[in-house]
Amino acid sequence: MGRLLAWRLSAMGHQVTLFESGSLDKPAGACHTAAGMIAPLSELYHCPLPIYHMGMQSLQHWPQWAKQLEQQTGTNVDYRQTGSILVAHPQDRSELLQFQQELTAKLGKENTGQLHWLDKNTLTKLEPELDRFDQGLWLATEADIDNRKLLPALHLALKQSDVRIHENTPVNCTPRKIHTASASEQFELVIDTRGLGAKQQIKGLRGVRGEVLVVETQEVQLNRPVRLLHPRYQLYAVPRADHRIVIGATEIESEDMSPISLRSSMELSSALYSIHPAFAEARILETRVNCRPATMDNMPLLETEPGLIRVNGLYRHGYLLAPALVVQVEMQIQQTTSDTAQVTRCN
Amino acid sequence: MADKLNLYGKAFDSRLLVGTALYPSPAIMRESVAASGAEIITLSLRRQSPAQQQGKMLWDYIQESGCQLLPNTAGCKTPKEVVALAEMSREIFGTDWLKLEVIGDDYNLQPDPFGLIEAARELVQRGFKVLPYCTDDLVVCRRLLDVGCEVLMPWGSPIGTGRGLMNKYNLQTLRERLPDVPLIIDAGIGAPSQACEAMELGFDAVLLNTAIARAQNPVLMAGAFRLAVESGRAARNAGLMLKRQTASPSTPTLDMPFWQQAVSEGEKA
Repeated sequence: MGRLLAWRLSAMGHQVTLFESGSLDKPAGACHTAAGMIAPLSELYHCPLPIYHMGMQSLQHWPQWAKQLEQQTGTNVDYRQTGSILVAHPQDRSELLQFQQELTAKLGKENTGQLHWLDKNTLTKLEPELDRFDQGLWLATEADIDNRKLLPALHLALKQSDVRIHENTPVNCTPRKIHTASASEQFELVIDTRGLGAKQQIKGLRGVRGEVLVVETQEVQLNRPVRLLHPRYQLYAVPRADHRIVIGATEIESEDMSPISLRSSMELSSALYSIHPAFAEARILETRVNCRPATMDNMPLLETEPGLIRVNGLYRHGYLLAPALVVQVEMQIQQTTSDTAQVTRCN
Repeated sequence: MADKLNLYGKAFDSRLLVGTALYPSPAIMRESVAASGAEIITLSLRRQSPAQQQGKMLWDYIQESGCQLLPNTAGCKTPKEVVALAEMSREIFGTDWLKLEVIGDDYNLQPDPFGLIEAARELVQRGFKVLPYCTDDLVVCRRLLDVGCEVLMPWGSPIGTGRGLMNKYNLQTLRERLPDVPLIIDAGIGAPSQACEAMELGFDAVLLNTAIARAQNPVLMAGAFRLAVESGRAARNAGLMLKRQTASPSTPTLDMPFWQQAVSEGEKA
């Protein structure tokens, strides 16, 4: 969120200084751990309608922003809008119906046929490797971006612009002031996007542990994110370049940042294996663990007071909501003549 | 006389117990708990690194509801795991109430009756007030009572299935054979009508989670379950009529002799 915002504000002509508690090459935040999905419909299953609306706004911005970033930096960020596919094993088939029922009810009149049922034939035309499944749902408008390419590209873009960057500098944020361990610096406006780093300042902000596996295989080729619906788990497999697949994610109400548990790794890997048995010989390249910053209503927080804007609580929706929130912050900045404090719950 | 639910010496007005997992957000969970009227709520801590108290923020939020906490041992498969987690939860939450779960089958989360009895015996000896999640098997239930459980929580059907009371014969047998034991239907309840039915059958309370948490409007559904449980209990107390073989008009039909129906049937033929 912070890097994207800095890049956009700099492009708009603002003088921007970015403070990063760690290194921009090895970010510690959930943005580095995530799978980079931009899936407003899939997320609507467990989220309220405003998340979907903001996600749809983000879907409008991402293609153009990704292209601009690629042109500016000469690097590829692998933005891809090929939709996502949902499948369930025969014994869990009711999960697909439940998903459709829930989305149809939530979308109401906004349901313009975004959900497409696939039979075995149409499913395997889109994803030949999913031949173990008889049916699925295709959410054609959904997208994803390779965050492991996006974040370095943003870093490069910031270095190319006139953004001042302070790495390995944990800070505290107050109106118009940034406080480091050794000094305070004055600014016209401070934007606090520290995630769980702002826990002391934002009441009710909590961390929700997520665990992810990255595997590599040349035996199974997926073309787009695949979600496996199951009564107890929400699992996805997102294909990346170089035959890598990101599998996630657990969701545990805990702020534990210790390495992935054996149970979680078994759940994730067995889910992948159940999508296609050839995944058995995939190599585990990486396990990732992080805590998503979330508010008690799991909605993003945009809090404004004179000289300070706080953006936080993006929960499991960082890439889904970031562009929509960036645009809202841009609007707030344009309206800075207003000297009143306000909290936007984004709902 | 007040119709209280008495469990381990404590009296409750509500006969609906609810879980705190699977909600869209903690805020909706707490609102749903309030709408359900529940006074006892379950919570799990197995996967939340309880030793380091990494889920404390949410636990505190749940505790603010003021309900009797019923920590569970979901995810445990052996009595040893159960006892370790139970001691940890007693320390964290300051309660010796425990919903005992020992899972015997990963897929349908069926309780392991053997591990359950062993764990219940140990926990009772350690001073816990154990509410075991068990199957509807009479002998297993008796063994749990033998080792000191004062409340039993037989399943309606497997957790999360929403299939309601799958084996009414077994459940009715439990009710008839254990008339003085508080029996709480735990798991498998998918609709308020099923909760109502459980109460009409004479069960003392109902415990559920998924049907509320996964509803499109959990708060509204929590209220629906509250009404259903109250309704079922009132119906049980009022005395349900028995089913009859023939229609029985509720208003006197003096002008229609009892043979009239037969004549009418004859005319049709």
